[in-house]
Amino acid sequence: MKIAPILRLVVLLPALGVVAHAPAALVDTRHNLSASGPGAVRAVSETQVCIFCHAPHNSAPTAPLWNRRAPGSTYTPYASSTQRALTGQPTGASLLCLSCHDGTIALGDVLTRAAPISMSGGVTMMPAGASRLGTDLSDDHPISFAYTATLSTTRGELANPATLTGRVRLDATGRLQCTSCHDPHDDTNGKFLVVPNVASALCQTCHLKNYWSGSDHRNSTASWNGAGPNPWPHTSWNSVSSNACENCHRPHSAGGKARLLNAAAEEDNCYPCHNGNVARKNVQSEFGKLSIHPLASTSGTHDPAEPAVSATRHVECADCHNPHAARAAAGTPSGALLGVRGVTIAGAEVNPVASEYQICLRCHGDSPGKPTPRTRRQIAQDNVRLQFDTLNPSYHPVAGVGRNLNVPSLIGPTWSVSSLVRCADCHNNNAGPGAGGSGPAGPHGSTYASLLERPYVTVDNTPESAANYALCYKCHGRSTFITEGGAFRYHMKHVVEYRTPCNVCHDPHGISATQGNATNNSKLINFDISVVTPSASGQLRFESLGQNTGRCYLTCHGKDHAPKSY
Amino acid sequence: MNCKVTKRAILAGLLLGLGIQSNFAGTITGSAHDFTAKSWSGGRICVACHAPHNTNTSVTDAPLWTHALSTATYTLYSSATLNATMGQPSGLSKLCLSCHDGTVAVDSFGGATGSTMVAASSNVGTALNNDHPIGFTYNSALATADGSLHDPSVKSITIGSGGQTKTGTLKATMLYNDKLECSSCHDVHNTFNAQTSKLLKVSDAGSAICLACHNK
Repeated sequence: MKIAPILRLVVLLPALGVVAHAPAALVDTRHNLSASGPGAVRAVSETQVCIFCHAPHNSAPTAPLWNRRAPGSTYTPYASSTQRALTGQPTGASLLCLSCHDGTIALGDVLTRAAPISMSGGVTMMPAGASRLGTDLSDDHPISFAYTATLSTTRGELANPATLTGRVRLDATGRLQCTSCHDPHDDTNGKFLVVPNVASALCQTCHLKNYWSGSDHRNSTASWNGAGPNPWPHTSWNSVSSNACENCHRPHSAGGKARLLNAAAEEDNCYPCHNGNVARKNVQSEFGKLSIHPLASTSGTHDPAEPAVSATRHVECADCHNPHAARAAAGTPSGALLGVRGVTIAGAEVNPVASEYQICLRCHGDSPGKPTPRTRRQIAQDNVRLQFDTLNPSYHPVAGVGRNLNVPSLIGPTWSVSSLVRCADCHNNNAGPGAGGSGPAGPHGSTYASLLERPYVTVDNTPESAANYALCYKCHGRSTFITEGGAFRYHMKHVVEYRTPCNVCHDPHGISATQGNATNNSKLINFDISVVTPSASGQLRFESLGQNTGRCYLTCHGKDHAPKSY
Repeated sequence: MNCKVTKRAILAGLLLGLGIQSNFAGTITGSAHDFTAKSWSGGRICVACHAPHNTNTSVTDAPLWTHALSTATYTLYSSATLNATMGQPSGLSKLCLSCHDGTVAVDSFGGATGSTMVAASSNVGTALNNDHPIGFTYNSALATADGSLHDPSVKSITIGSGGQTKTGTLKATMLYNDKLECSSCHDVHNTFNAQTSKLLKVSDAGSAICLACHNK
């Protein structure tokens, strides 16, 4: 309650001797630029408070009795690939604010004074710092755009402007202005905000993000342990939930301009918390490993408006994670991958994904520019979507249950022929929970090539051991391969006796139906042609002859198979 | 808290140091409205505005008015955030404008037509849209609607300075028939004035005159 703030002070002071006024009074804020002002920026001797902005006579523009020149600057407005608002040059009240805050007009340069009011310390224009926005407004929240009901529906995740009847308001023309968020006369909430922005209450008056209510970025009470860089240098709060939007975003002076992100490099918005100092797991250090999703390779390439099938391959945290949705929760997909779009096994966009692999297919499917596969195979294929298609003669059961109903090596009860596997069952942190470690889950980085969770040696003449084929043995019991018998009774001969890696005969992803067939390519058979060569008669193929029987035409380790049967 | 006290003390010291409380209030003699030195006044202070007999009663409550009234139609102040209901000036402000809109000579009084126009610095013109609004009803309802105005029937204020002060509600000290007029801020007779400059009833130091009503 602001009772008689300045009047008691000025008029009754001599009589009363003591005065009191609420801290919310304008005179106690940095917008009191008079000599009595509390801020560093104040006049040398001018006592009038209002005069820096208002005059009772001869004002221009006439409302609100404005006492300052129009800046006349040409501004660089905010722009983003996902914006639907039409942002042009600032108008209305925002221009009034900019008559100080763009730093082009002296603070004391008011219409009603022949000479500018002198400011202490020789200050003329607004000093450099957070309050001086400059004329480049591209790193500031957009202003002066018409916030219409149509905008709220076309853009989505925006409140209908008809609901803005509280402290956050549009101007008389329905435009969002500086004054929608800031009340220049009232600093009760800090930064002259119209409502306190703890837990981003102000932001969320307009921004209604999908999935947000259950997001850990909204709900986590985690705080900073004090190590490393301050994750929240721009706010006074020390928990994830109290910083909310401001964990990643800032409305002014944003490093990542288009998304108003704190930092220009995408991953630098995540690392300050996901380095073990706020979030429990240190994800940042994962990206120092041998095999990684290379976040730091690109900056500015990722664009939320890009097609689901990445046309310019890159990876940022936000390609796999939706920071407005992510949470610690089990499920398919897991909470960490909630609310993310992807590509179906048929190649269509899906949002949100129903399965994790649909995220992977954004870049590892139909995208151009994929690297050459590490193994040179008889049937070459770099499109993972085609490799896992459930129409294929064989495939690891990622997009659907597998074709082979006779897989006795599977370690039950966890694994059976009706199991599905996730990409991350093989491609994952070598020290994450899947590998029995305490590191963060997920294919961020691994010490093993191809971002594999466990060793998977592909070099010919490798001695069989539990360690060398640990990846395969995770699901396929080792005993099947080091003893006689099983579906293919010569496994032991090949793997143990002749030291042939699994990878030489089996293509772990699958063989596309566009290239292979059920006779030659069931059971993931697709030879590594750097090891396996044609037979003496020039033939190179496997032929399935039914359950547990088949034959091979090839040459391997100097042995002509012409054919060899089982 | 200490910080606040210190700031208040500094401000108090400043105000006192600047002599805001010294005796500006007094009499019309020597003020901007003392016309005795003007050739057309015949040494009479009151003559430009008042006469004892046969005065103009066309303006409600006009105080024995004798100055020729302006017939101008004014451009009114407007603002998207203005809650007051505006209309053409009437009442006391119309009397002020009979000199200060610059359409009628200062020495046009008592039926005579003069030729001395008000000084440019005191001429608000007929476009009142760049001037603080006048002639509107300022009551509790307006204060509520606006949200950052003091309730004029509650807020107390002291006008004048030195030995000539008057303390009361805004309604009692600054409003006329509940309306804000030129005379809400300006005491034309320099009676209850906080400062001679601009004939203000409350000092503009610390923008006190503004903050009398505006609860910022």
